[in-house]
Amino acid sequence: MSDIIVSASPHVRKKRTTRGIMLDVLIALLPATVAGLVFFGARAAVTIVLSVFGAVATEWVWLLCKKTSIKAIARQFDLTSVVTGLLLALTLPPLDYKYFYIPLLSSIFAVGVAKMLFGGTGKNIVNPAIAGRVFAFISFQSPMVSGWMRPLFGSVDSVAVSSATPLTSMLGDSIGAMGVSNLDLLLGTGVMGCIGETCKIALLVGFVYLVVRRVVKWQWPVIYVAVCGLISCAMGKSMNYFLPSVLSGGLLLGAIFMATDYVTSPNNKWACYVYYVLLGVVTALLRFGTKIEVVSFAILLLNLIVPLLNMWIRPRPFGATPIPQLIKQKCADLKAKLGKKKQKEGEQQ
Amino acid sequence: MIKPQEIRKIGVDGLLRNNPTFRLVLGTCPTLALTTAAMNGIGMGLAVTFVLIFSNAIISALRKVIPNEVRIPAFVLIIATFVTLLRMLLDKFIPSLYESMGVYLPLIVVNCIILGRAESFASKNPVVHSAFDGLFTGLGFTLALTLMGAIREILGAGAIFGVTLWDFRIEFFSSSAGAFFVYGISIALFNFVYTKVESRMHKRKFEKLYGHQELTVQEEAK
Repeated sequence: MSDIIVSASPHVRKKRTTRGIMLDVLIALLPATVAGLVFFGARAAVTIVLSVFGAVATEWVWLLCKKTSIKAIARQFDLTSVVTGLLLALTLPPLDYKYFYIPLLSSIFAVGVAKMLFGGTGKNIVNPAIAGRVFAFISFQSPMVSGWMRPLFGSVDSVAVSSATPLTSMLGDSIGAMGVSNLDLLLGTGVMGCIGETCKIALLVGFVYLVVRRVVKWQWPVIYVAVCGLISCAMGKSMNYFLPSVLSGGLLLGAIFMATDYVTSPNNKWACYVYYVLLGVVTALLRFGTKIEVVSFAILLLNLIVPLLNMWIRPRPFGATPIPQLIKQKCADLKAKLGKKKQKEGEQQ
Repeated sequence: MIKPQEIRKIGVDGLLRNNPTFRLVLGTCPTLALTTAAMNGIGMGLAVTFVLIFSNAIISALRKVIPNEVRIPAFVLIIATFVTLLRMLLDKFIPSLYESMGVYLPLIVVNCIILGRAESFASKNPVVHSAFDGLFTGLGFTLALTLMGAIREILGAGAIFGVTLWDFRIEFFSSSAGAFFVYGISIALFNFVYTKVESRMHKRKFEKLYGHQELTVQEEAK
């Protein structure tokens, strides 16, 4: 017996590393990035390069200031900042070259403030890319809102598309005036929007890859998107709203790549159900309330309640009292307590 | 009367060691709301300084008359008197500042810095000491607000004291989220520098007393 030594937990190990998972995410983002480059050309390329550079540089400079040697940094480098930079760039509109500082500053904010200030990888309370996007959106409203660019090809001929994103016109008018068919929305042809969010097919390909590689569970994005779509239908009182509301804006990008971030989503099943349903509800309501695209704000808001969800909804340990029995017990306890109170009152009287 | 060393001690306390904004984190409401511009910060800071000096002096003079049980209402009454006075003065002589401070001017009555100094200093110390304490605490508050206001104005509006510097603005810093961000960062930096300086000063004092001995762990253990 004494020959056997039990090491400390965890006993079940996988060869998976943070770097491997992040590489998977990068591969999954590849189709969307390529689609963005095809649709928006050099502008998209510049935005993506600047944003990724800003994110990685911020992380490395921060670690250098903490007196870590370059070798150690390179050894520990887990690609999270590359993912943050790329995701952030995909949520920015293809900006004019004179706004080169927007992707730079917002990626510096994303990594420096939202991630490193809270202790680095795995300790951030909000998704860094989302924080960066919201920073850009609040700080540079005019280029972020009016900086939309016509895609390089596609059938842009309707008036509705030329003024704003399809989503804004959808929220503003009835569906008939939208001018973009669901197929256009799905392929991203002739749709204005942020670099990574217009081509939904590319995002879906990435989603399938993530599910196959088991990086993301398929339920979560599906729940989020479905709830958001259904509530949009309820608000618009027509089932025709489902596809446009799901396929326009940054909903798919947010649902697949941002809401499912390991660090900022709840860590057990039931809390996750609550989280993603709430996300759908908040996104749909905010969309109709504010008439702008709010997926990033919804995710930011819900990220903040994740610690509470983790605290309130805990996984039940194996062998714990089953829930129906627990409820019965509680009821019995309550009855006993009430009975005692009544008795006491009776005695006092 | 008051000695120069005492003034120095009260000064260091008010400006640095007990800086109301960065060390005690008091009076956060005007700090967050009014620091969109450096000028607002100065205005608010000086208004609070004015009230602090007089309320501290009066409360200190009356400290033996006011019964302990009703001291808080009595303090608030005295503070409110001076705030009302200040409002009338500002309305008459500097109407632009009066308007820019809006609701935060009457709210000085319930500013916890003033009540805090009354409770912790003025009700226990002589009149002149208390007046000096009010002056330096108020100046510490002014300094902090001006600093934050300057940072937010430069980054958020591309200007300083109303003079436009450049056309580049990060509107994040003018918003309330930016206020919290700048506040947090300034508290962190201030405390970082302050503790560094303080520990160095302690070391120097120690060396003055005991010569250049190194205090090792073994000696401490003995």
